[in-house]
Amino acid sequence: MLFRVENLTHQYSDGTLALNAISLTFDKGERIALLGTNGSGKTTLLNHFNGILKPTSGNIYFEDKPLKYDSKSLLNLRKRVGFVFQDPNDQLFAPTVKQDVAFGPLNLGYPIETVKKIVDDALKTVGMTEYANKPPHFLSGGQKKRVALAGVLAMQPEVIIMDEPTSSLDPIATSDILHLLLQLNKEKGISLVLATHDVDIVPLFANKLYILNKGKIVSEGTPQTSFSNTELIRNVNLRSPRIAHLFEVLKKEDGLPIPDDLPLTISEARKEILHLLQVTKDQTKTQNL
Amino acid sequence: MSHSDLYVEVDRSAYTNALAENSPVTKTFFALSALILCVSALSARAFIVPIILFIICTTLTLGLAKVKPHLYLNMFIYPTFMIILSCIFIALFFGVGEPLTQITLPWTIWTIHKSGISMALNIFFSVMGSLSCLFFLVLTTSITDLSLLLRRVHVPTVLVELAILIYRYIFMFMEISHTMTTAQKLRLGGTGWMKKIREVSLLAGNLFIRTLEQGERTFVAMNARGYDGNIYALEEFPKPKKTMIAAIILFDILIVAVIFLTLNIGVI
Repeated sequence: MLFRVENLTHQYSDGTLALNAISLTFDKGERIALLGTNGSGKTTLLNHFNGILKPTSGNIYFEDKPLKYDSKSLLNLRKRVGFVFQDPNDQLFAPTVKQDVAFGPLNLGYPIETVKKIVDDALKTVGMTEYANKPPHFLSGGQKKRVALAGVLAMQPEVIIMDEPTSSLDPIATSDILHLLLQLNKEKGISLVLATHDVDIVPLFANKLYILNKGKIVSEGTPQTSFSNTELIRNVNLRSPRIAHLFEVLKKEDGLPIPDDLPLTISEARKEILHLLQVTKDQTKTQNL
Repeated sequence: MSHSDLYVEVDRSAYTNALAENSPVTKTFFALSALILCVSALSARAFIVPIILFIICTTLTLGLAKVKPHLYLNMFIYPTFMIILSCIFIALFFGVGEPLTQITLPWTIWTIHKSGISMALNIFFSVMGSLSCLFFLVLTTSITDLSLLLRRVHVPTVLVELAILIYRYIFMFMEISHTMTTAQKLRLGGTGWMKKIREVSLLAGNLFIRTLEQGERTFVAMNARGYDGNIYALEEFPKPKKTMIAAIILFDILIVAVIFLTLNIGVI
């Protein structure tokens, strides 16, 4: 197991339990989604994975070894576990895009020629090569997000953690970033952990879904199984993906024969609709006999 | 042009002007040496030299670097206004020795001295010349290049890093304060002097807290990418052309010669 979290509890100084006995695992190459409303503890949990926060109690294991918090161990951890923050303004601080992306690899002590090549590759991967010498305040929100991702990619991590990657992105930018992440996962085997409250993107990339509510994990499984538990979803103030909601209504209100695992994406919906049409055609055929 | 707009435009000019890719060493060497010469001309009372340098720098800025005249003019407005005011004051009330005229007032005799006029004249041209040199540098060289230059001449790293970070965040906070002021205006604040003062103070206090929070978040983000206390530089420095440096040295020697030739020409 790449990451193992056991009974993680995190308490703020005012006594509130941000995280309450959380246990989860994920393996190399997996694509995890952490779903939850604002204030459910997603960001707090993510911050434990790369050592920004320490647990009040409980354990975190990276490759079956407990996390150590001295500066050398943290540097090694952060080389392998990259973190993209929700607000790129928090992350982009250097005068130009190129210098910002170079920040990570320079801190890791690579020679300058290597760093230059890494920076070029990272900018090419996110499609921001023409902006290399521009200052960050000339960029739009989506472009800043891409540069922030490039800065993390430049450290060549094995795991990328992203806090609300699609918030404040327009539809094309959202789709672009998801495609990019899936590509990185497929081609380089980078594990992904995304915290989000955008339910519609979860079935598009995740193969494992954890739902958080008030610091506790209330659901663990694949998107298919988790989203089919529509009552749970509503109880934690979330909603199902639109497609799942539609099929839930068709099932409950109109009594259509829809399987327990509701379709979550457009392609699944299409399959299911064509299947239903075929079923009704067969039914009318047998009725007419 | 509002103050923050000007700031943004100057920064943009530093990245988009025709001389942006040239070596910052050349530009800084030229501008600083010209600046020193302008100031020396003041004490030498050779006000022809600052006029020459003003013409040269303005031509370089508008002609070679292709900076927009509108921007260049805007940069001069406040300083010129101030210097004219100061020089009028100096001309009328300062100086010793040979008088130009004397005006009898009920309580005293007001003497306008020739040396006062001379001082005012020299100061005016010297300042205008110095401004043009400085504006040339500022409009053609970006802070990134300047900070690399500073690092090269062994200015303490902590100062350079502070400069880099402050630069980046000035823009962010200008944007935030602009947004907050607009939000205030949209709720019909801002009428009446006392109200305005109160609103500005609320804005400043809020902005201060936000800067603290932002600093905290940036620090966390930098740590997440392995920050260990040093901001290492990706050295990207176009090397100055030897011929340019030689040309500038020659130019400076020429100007010094002109100073000696026009020595005390500014003494009325």
